[in-house]
Amino acid sequence: MINLIKKNSLEFFNANGLPSKKLENWKFTSSKNFKSFNKSSSSIKNQKIESDELSIVFVNGVLDKNSLKNFKFSDLLEVKNLDELNDKELLRCSENFLKESMFNLGISEFEHGSYLSFKRNSVIEEVINIKNYFFENGNNERVSSFNIFHINEGSEISIIEEDIKENHSIFNLKLNKFICENSTIFKYGKSFNDHSQTYSLSYNYYQIKKDVVLSVDSIITSSFFNKEFIEVDLNNSGSDAKINILNLGKDEQHIDNNILINHNAEHCTSFQHVRNVLDNKSTAVFNGKVIVAEGAQQTDSNQSNKNLLLSLESNAFSNPQLEIYADDVSCGHGSTTGALDENSIFYLRARGIDYSSAQKILIKAFAKEVIDDFSLSSLQDISEIALDSWING
Amino acid sequence: MIKIKNLEASIDDKTILKGIDMEIPAGEVHVIMGRNGSGKSTLANVIAGNEAYEVDGGSISMNDTDITEMSIENRALEGIFLCFQYPVAIPGVGMAYFLRSALNAHRKHQGKDEMDALEFLNNAKAILSELGLDDSFLKRSINDGFSGGEKKKSEILQLLTINPKLAVLDETDSGLDVDALRTVAKGVNKFKNDNNSVLIITHYQRLLNYIKPDVVHLMIDGKIVESGDMSLVEKVEKDGYSWLEK
Repeated sequence: MINLIKKNSLEFFNANGLPSKKLENWKFTSSKNFKSFNKSSSSIKNQKIESDELSIVFVNGVLDKNSLKNFKFSDLLEVKNLDELNDKELLRCSENFLKESMFNLGISEFEHGSYLSFKRNSVIEEVINIKNYFFENGNNERVSSFNIFHINEGSEISIIEEDIKENHSIFNLKLNKFICENSTIFKYGKSFNDHSQTYSLSYNYYQIKKDVVLSVDSIITSSFFNKEFIEVDLNNSGSDAKINILNLGKDEQHIDNNILINHNAEHCTSFQHVRNVLDNKSTAVFNGKVIVAEGAQQTDSNQSNKNLLLSLESNAFSNPQLEIYADDVSCGHGSTTGALDENSIFYLRARGIDYSSAQKILIKAFAKEVIDDFSLSSLQDISEIALDSWING
Repeated sequence: MIKIKNLEASIDDKTILKGIDMEIPAGEVHVIMGRNGSGKSTLANVIAGNEAYEVDGGSISMNDTDITEMSIENRALEGIFLCFQYPVAIPGVGMAYFLRSALNAHRKHQGKDEMDALEFLNNAKAILSELGLDDSFLKRSINDGFSGGEKKKSEILQLLTINPKLAVLDETDSGLDVDALRTVAKGVNKFKNDNNSVLIITHYQRLLNYIKPDVVHLMIDGKIVESGDMSLVEKVEKDGYSWLEK
């Protein structure tokens, strides 16, 4: 089945090519540098990989099955190759992603994708670390991957994902699908602080069933190019999706968040909170959309994007959108972009705190409001260290 | 303590202060009264070094050090403390962290060791208790979600923690009920001693029922036109300011 999907995707990409700025989701993000990357060869040998009993390791997007031998909860995990899956519903991708040319390129190129399924009632209190190692076979390689994570009924799983890159010229095209069955709690955190020149383009699709609590927390510092698509389908009642994202940009970094939340059922809540701190010539884009379908009554949704510009040459493009087709809902959205507040700086300086320290205090306060909302306390700790290092770096 | 000589200042090319002369020796409480727009708050901001204002002439000195060109933070470290008329709310910055950072910046400037967290907390809790504030005040963000009275009490908490040489109270009494006014006055009276000075900017007599001034100045159109004792306050309460313009 997967081979047919790959074939269709390749045809789509060949017909449409790289995304142009005429497309709404690519209006402020150029794909022209994508041309300089070529598909990687998948063979990686003799590389040093560190894993522990709480780690699941991927190497260039491919699950390292050896790492599962040490994994403390391997008895709660069922692993299959994607080409063994014949269930259409498990493999079903977002319709919106299927209209994305780069998503199709990723589907056509990935090799050895995995299906990781946490069994029913798997309650794991510890945080599982997903370590993505990237090794280079040649220059300017594009690494495409596709993996599916299935959280089965009654389970409670927390994951923090980090990228470990030892080179400066990888294009990481990462496709993930997450299925959260009824009555699950899934906390997913991401911390990318690699200081490399990596291009990262990811498509994350969350298929949410009934009475699910989903949280997606992310901090990104120092990635040269990072564009992420997140789509959450709230398909059954009583579910809650929280997305908290903090991006810290410097130099000429480009950060782009595209978030779509589909409220397809009643009594669901969603919360998006994206903050960007931008220095030098860095750029951030926020395209956030909430669609409340007809009949999705009692939806409670909030969307917020705040951008702090530390330099005259930094730029933020913000496009929060709401589409509501139900009449008994509570939905709000807002966006602000601005520099540090001079009155606040004056207030701190009037108490003897020097200008530079006052600036740092205010940047930290702005960023920390997102970190404080992270569901994963260990990611909060990691993020605070990363934030301090970014501010003082 | 502080000497202001022929001070002229403007904002957005509009001249506000048109030659202020004033001297507040150590141990004295001075009051400035005047109509709205007379330049009282501008004077407070210029003393604190607010860069939104341009000093066009004259000088300000603290204990014989000319501070006219000094940065905001260095003035603060030299002992100037402005109690803001409208304290800024800064979400995300905890009061305890802020107060301790400010206090330790002063201690470092004075050549003292930084105060450790425990000693700081004990000191802060003692001040909070005197101001009728709960210890949880320290866990809140600076002035974020504070009532008008809490904001002014927060200013007094900062004043008593930092213990500067000159406190400039810019309409600290505005918007306070009687109980909060008494608390603020109690804090200021606790602060003042023979080695420091207080400059109170106000429209009303009511704060002065609790803090007795040594000198009262009346300001009109960017100039001090009359200085005297408490009887000036009573005359202003009774007759307003129009008699000064004749």
